[in-house]
Amino acid sequence: MTVETVLEVRDLHTHFFLRRGVVKAVDGVSFSLRRGEVLGLVGESGCGKSLTALSLMRLLPKGGARTIKGEVRLGGENILECTPAEMREIRGRRISMVLQDPQTSLNPVFTVGDQLREAIQRRKRAPRAAVMEEAVAALRRVEIAAPEQRIGQYPHQMSGGMKQRVVGAIAISGEPGVLIADEPTTALDVTIQLQYLKLLKRLQAETGMAILFITHDFGVVGRMCDRVAVMYAGRIVECGPVRQIFEAPQHPYTRALIASVPKMTGPVGRLATIEGQPPSLMDLPAGCRFASRCALVEQRCLDVYPGTVRVGEEHTADCWKAASS
Amino acid sequence: MNAAPLLRVEGLRKHFPFTKGILFAKTLGQIKAVDDVSFEIRAGETLGLVGESGCGKTTTSRMILNLEEPTEGRILLDGEPIHGLQGEALRAYRARVQAVFQDPWSSLNPRMKVGRTIAESLIVNASRNRRRGDRARIDERVRELLLQVGLRPEQAQQYPHEFSGGQRQRVALAAALASRPKLIVLDEPVSALDVSIRAQMMNLLKDIQAQDDVAYLLVAHDLATVRHMADHTVVMYLGKIVEKAPTASLFEDVRHPYTKALFSAVLVAWPGQAAEEIELKGEVPSPLDPPSGCRFHTRCPHVMPRCSQQEPALREVSPGHFVACYMFE
Repeated sequence: MTVETVLEVRDLHTHFFLRRGVVKAVDGVSFSLRRGEVLGLVGESGCGKSLTALSLMRLLPKGGARTIKGEVRLGGENILECTPAEMREIRGRRISMVLQDPQTSLNPVFTVGDQLREAIQRRKRAPRAAVMEEAVAALRRVEIAAPEQRIGQYPHQMSGGMKQRVVGAIAISGEPGVLIADEPTTALDVTIQLQYLKLLKRLQAETGMAILFITHDFGVVGRMCDRVAVMYAGRIVECGPVRQIFEAPQHPYTRALIASVPKMTGPVGRLATIEGQPPSLMDLPAGCRFASRCALVEQRCLDVYPGTVRVGEEHTADCWKAASS
Repeated sequence: MNAAPLLRVEGLRKHFPFTKGILFAKTLGQIKAVDDVSFEIRAGETLGLVGESGCGKTTTSRMILNLEEPTEGRILLDGEPIHGLQGEALRAYRARVQAVFQDPWSSLNPRMKVGRTIAESLIVNASRNRRRGDRARIDERVRELLLQVGLRPEQAQQYPHEFSGGQRQRVALAAALASRPKLIVLDEPVSALDVSIRAQMMNLLKDIQAQDDVAYLLVAHDLATVRHMADHTVVMYLGKIVEKAPTASLFEDVRHPYTKALFSAVLVAWPGQAAEEIELKGEVPSPLDPPSGCRFHTRCPHVMPRCSQQEPALREVSPGHFVACYMFE
């Protein structure tokens, strides 16, 4: 395996410092992303997956969120040490992001052409006609029909799927090496979702960019991702190739999560559930964070956080009971 | 099987006028949100209504809730037409047909303790027999309802914001169950919930159905949810039913090209398991100007010349399994 690592995240901690206490939303996340691969980041609401993405972009929400520890190496450089000016150069060109709701990413009072042009002109000076041409080409690349007409339209004149394509066009216009996609298809209808996912795959094959795909939907993971990282209460509890995670999950949380998804085949019966609630991020237990809901819990799980165990080739799990290999 | 259905929907149509201007509004056309839809729900059964945005599933459910008047066609509950009901009869209807929506915030008052919300639902729906000294009986029933949906009775004293998303949905369900309805319209009841909570809610809904013999109209876009919940499934596209069948038979033998595409788009959770992948080109056409003939013909991979000329009727292809497509004539 000599594939180039484009993004390396080590021991990332992003906490919210509130008057009531410290919310440890991202608390020791490590993973790496290789050129041309799709890594899925899966977990339920509040597990810290979106905040991880925002930490990588250095776009933390206002109100006390700070990255206090860790490294984010983008092509060897720790971008957590970059100045805001340097970060502005990095965003869009080397790392880019697509959010769930295209409505929030597009400005309703400008045409999509204006917004694409702005993204292109931030990177280079060029005559207006050349920029226009590039904007049309960008829309064509995301397979928007009749881009010459669409370019003069406002976001409200487009459907959700089309808006999400425009956002995609803007995100990849700077040819970034890393694209973070935070639930990009959750708001779309299923047939449109499939179109969008296939488009992303085609674009990735063309450009070789690496995608960090954040989702809560295992169906999307199965279709899109090469590897998957499962997050729970601020940490990645299991990470490995998609096939292995689906067929032989090692962490009890991953197992329970997969079991609770209604399937399209097989017997229709009672669904497995996970009882209880995730721990409060303000008051995390000393041991394993899933211990209070885990069927296999024993004393050491409550006392000490299990280390990351290698359970297979490129497959790791944070569990005392995982069989190491 | 021959028992009379609880709810019967016959030739239902709902057209919304599309207007321009405010004061001297001109009607430019009709949006055919629901166009000739018929189905039945039996007591204690679940009917799944599936389709993408704009297919008319929500409009259909709003007409069943008696929140919209149909343009044509009728809806019968226990053989009685529901539209045109007034006063006490309408109130009685509302007690028998309840709803739970996707976002529980929309059905809960943030400034009211949840026990009060549930009690209110009880009082409104039982106003005829309100008597002094009912207080204790109401409290007792609220207790019972909270237990039934898996919450603790003392949680009646809490406000909605003190609950998690899944618990709030349980409260909304308790309020819906208060009047002992015969039918509950569940509009995307689990799609806002996390995966593990979703499974709990689905199990709970099934348990309640088994206990109370209540029927559900499940409006959903997630096929796997429908598969686990529904006895019968209706698939809609642009205001029309394209396929309806007992759920088991539909999932075994998908017929209509649109349903097939929908099934293939539902991402199979296991890598490498998707056998046939049908990527539909383009988007759903505007309901303002639906395609002639079969409304799906603009995106259909098997389109034939006659598809754009005449609308295919629903035909029974196997017992109980209806498809509107010329491929099966």
